[in-house]
Amino acid sequence: MTLDAPTPLAGEVAQRLRFDKAVLPNGLTVIGEHNPGAASVAAGFFVQTGSRDEQAELAGVSHFLEHMAFKGNERYTADDLNRLFDELGAQYNASTSEERTIYYGAVLPERLPRLLELLSELMRPALRQEDFDVEKKVILEEIAMYEDRPHFHVFDVSAPRFWAGHPLGNSVLGTRESISALTRDQMLAYYQRRYSPTNLVLAIVGRYDWDAVLDQAERIAGSWPTFDAPRERPPAAPATGREGVVDPKLSRVHVAYYAPGVAISDPRRFAAAVLGYVLGDATGSRLYWELVDKGLADSASLGHEAHEDQGAFVGYVSSAPERAEEVIARYVEVLRRAQDEPPTPDEWRRAQRKLATGLTLRAETPLGRLPSFGATYQSLGVYQSVAELVDRVMNARIETAVELLQARPFDSGYVFTLGPGQRA
Amino acid sequence: MSSDDRAASAEGASAVKERRPLTAKLDNGLMVVYEAMPWLPSVSATLVLPFGSASDPQGLEGTATVLHEWVQRGAGDLDSRAFSDALEDLGVRRGGAANRESSSFNLSFLASELEAVMPLLADMVIRPRLDAAEFEPSRELAVQELESLDDAPTQRLFDELLAAFVTSPQGRSPLGTAEGLAALTAEGVRAEAARVLRPRGAVLALAGGADWDRVLAAAQAAFGAWEGEGPEVPAVAVATPGRRHVEAESSQVQIGLAFPAPPPGTDEAYVHNVVVNVLSGSSGARLHTEVREKRGLVYSVSAFYRSLRGFGMTLGYAGTTPERADETLEVFLAELDRLAAGVTPEEVERAKVGMLSSLVMQGESSSATAGRLASDVFNLGRARTLEEIISRVQSVTVEDVNEYLSTRRVPEPTIVTLGPARVPAAVAP
Repeated sequence: MTLDAPTPLAGEVAQRLRFDKAVLPNGLTVIGEHNPGAASVAAGFFVQTGSRDEQAELAGVSHFLEHMAFKGNERYTADDLNRLFDELGAQYNASTSEERTIYYGAVLPERLPRLLELLSELMRPALRQEDFDVEKKVILEEIAMYEDRPHFHVFDVSAPRFWAGHPLGNSVLGTRESISALTRDQMLAYYQRRYSPTNLVLAIVGRYDWDAVLDQAERIAGSWPTFDAPRERPPAAPATGREGVVDPKLSRVHVAYYAPGVAISDPRRFAAAVLGYVLGDATGSRLYWELVDKGLADSASLGHEAHEDQGAFVGYVSSAPERAEEVIARYVEVLRRAQDEPPTPDEWRRAQRKLATGLTLRAETPLGRLPSFGATYQSLGVYQSVAELVDRVMNARIETAVELLQARPFDSGYVFTLGPGQRA
Repeated sequence: MSSDDRAASAEGASAVKERRPLTAKLDNGLMVVYEAMPWLPSVSATLVLPFGSASDPQGLEGTATVLHEWVQRGAGDLDSRAFSDALEDLGVRRGGAANRESSSFNLSFLASELEAVMPLLADMVIRPRLDAAEFEPSRELAVQELESLDDAPTQRLFDELLAAFVTSPQGRSPLGTAEGLAALTAEGVRAEAARVLRPRGAVLALAGGADWDRVLAAAQAAFGAWEGEGPEVPAVAVATPGRRHVEAESSQVQIGLAFPAPPPGTDEAYVHNVVVNVLSGSSGARLHTEVREKRGLVYSVSAFYRSLRGFGMTLGYAGTTPERADETLEVFLAELDRLAAGVTPEEVERAKVGMLSSLVMQGESSSATAGRLASDVFNLGRARTLEEIISRVQSVTVEDVNEYLSTRRVPEPTIVTLGPARVPAAVAP
């Protein structure tokens, strides 16, 4: 197998980066990737909690809680927080997934101390009843908004069915019913079970003073009480076959596709990611040539998603209703056939290079780099620089993909359609 | 501020000062603009040409979109497959689209591949194959994108809003019309290619980790043999304000507003942008506070500035469930009215701080920087330095803003709603 060395420029940048790490006595992990050439700095609290940690009656609480964090506490009102973030000129936001809730922002380097102070206030929310009642309406609007976006909605509807009872199938948004029924006390109890410093990572990327960061982290977060915040990791038995839901309002058929993959801890995840690009990247992939190039579908994709203890190849295709059966058949056939016709060296190399370019581009800005830096460390407990990630991608072997394909994951694929049904 | 902080600020400021776009006009009229970001291993390139829905021939709406797709399906000596493979062998990430008065081709790649990528980009516009066999799939793709709009209500709202607001050809959707797409022929679109794929009026913008000599030499070698003059961009004209409801089956009502704003690059546009940021620049801004935080009416509400050549506009958006649409629109309009009473020094300060730090942060990305340069040269005829933009934003005072608001009331907006039922009262004509 030939290796492409990283470009000299990438190497130079890598040499200027420094990894910093400390664990406070209460268990809060603080990590940094210092880049003296950066014009900004990004920081975020990564909380290892998400929809997979919710019981059915709590569906959507992680995401709702993420909204409530911005409503303030004894020290600051919601208006205060909004104003103070604005005064920093911070680009800031939060996101919730099945596995993680992230609160993050980016500022010019001299404003980092104030950003860290505000982010840490988000971790101690008051969860006031009146704020809870108003924000519940916002969440219900968000649910309605995603219902109008079938290319998102199809995944919300299908994930629970594919994961077949495994908590990775839990909806991040929850449902109208679960959100309407949720109480402030249930949210508080959830918060008290999940937001332990041992379950948090504070990650910083860009230009910063490490000693000052550590001093401040100790001052701000050193007194947060520690408790166990375990996560259940039951075995998964994902569904196979085909299901669907009819929605006469829709014009097109939206198809979600799933097949078993590998977990983030599995070293084969790099080969799985390259394989995903070979089969389903937006340009130049096998699915592209079979469906989009021919004008049969305006979008046909597949990628590999590595979660903590499970993984899946997840894909999407949309089509006109009258052509949906043909499109689905071709989509599935491309993937089935790949099990007997693994990637060629040319296909493999192209996918590797595209993936490497994408990794490099995302890391141009501290804010672009932060999510993967924090999440990778939180999930694996190891630091991986971008140069190292690029190396791993460029060194991923076709033989590993062949091994993955020999398990015939696409014979166990799961197809879910959301569309208008039979037209008269 | 500690001495460390001061050192850091000084370093940040000098970094901005060193950022200078370099521009050259090739003999054939193609404008080449580049900003070096020598610490980056990557380069992003944006090629912008002055064709789009505004240049589509009458009755052939969608021409630009089909052409944009078709030229990427083989160029020079390479057929569609070989051309795509050649780009991907170089690890190129691709994007771009046909828009209203311009179309763009965006490529990002490692700096070491610059000389190999440029000829491929050039071939797309100088020597596109436009093979007959690739025409139908290109059109079919455009038809599907148009049909997909029915399942994307927010995008559809903005298409309807601009169609109602802009009466010049820029008001047409880049996605075209079903009739227009059906009427296209390969010969017709080939003729259009010969007319619009021309260097005069086009802009090639790059940013990233290469040096100017290399960039200019690569651009000259790849694009030097190109000839001719692209289409003229028509002047923008707008409708008298009105209200319209588009019926669609959806969970939320989409609410859109549009009104004229100062043209890009003018002193007034800098002041106006501060106003827009007071309204909607952040979570603490007026719209977010009044519509979402206090009343919980929406998940998403915003106002933003958009420009066409020589023309600026403010667009507003809110999405909410039907029973709350009236109240949402009322609160939105009340916030526009309230601007006449002026803004506070604190609001102006917060808006400016947000604008300035976002300029610096976007300046760290090669693709965002290439996009800024391309849009400057295309719309203003020159690339502003980051320093110039920053200092002009910095120089806006609360007095400037309040004087602007007192002498120029917010114009009555064009309002379009899209949703399950006609919204009563507030949008009745």
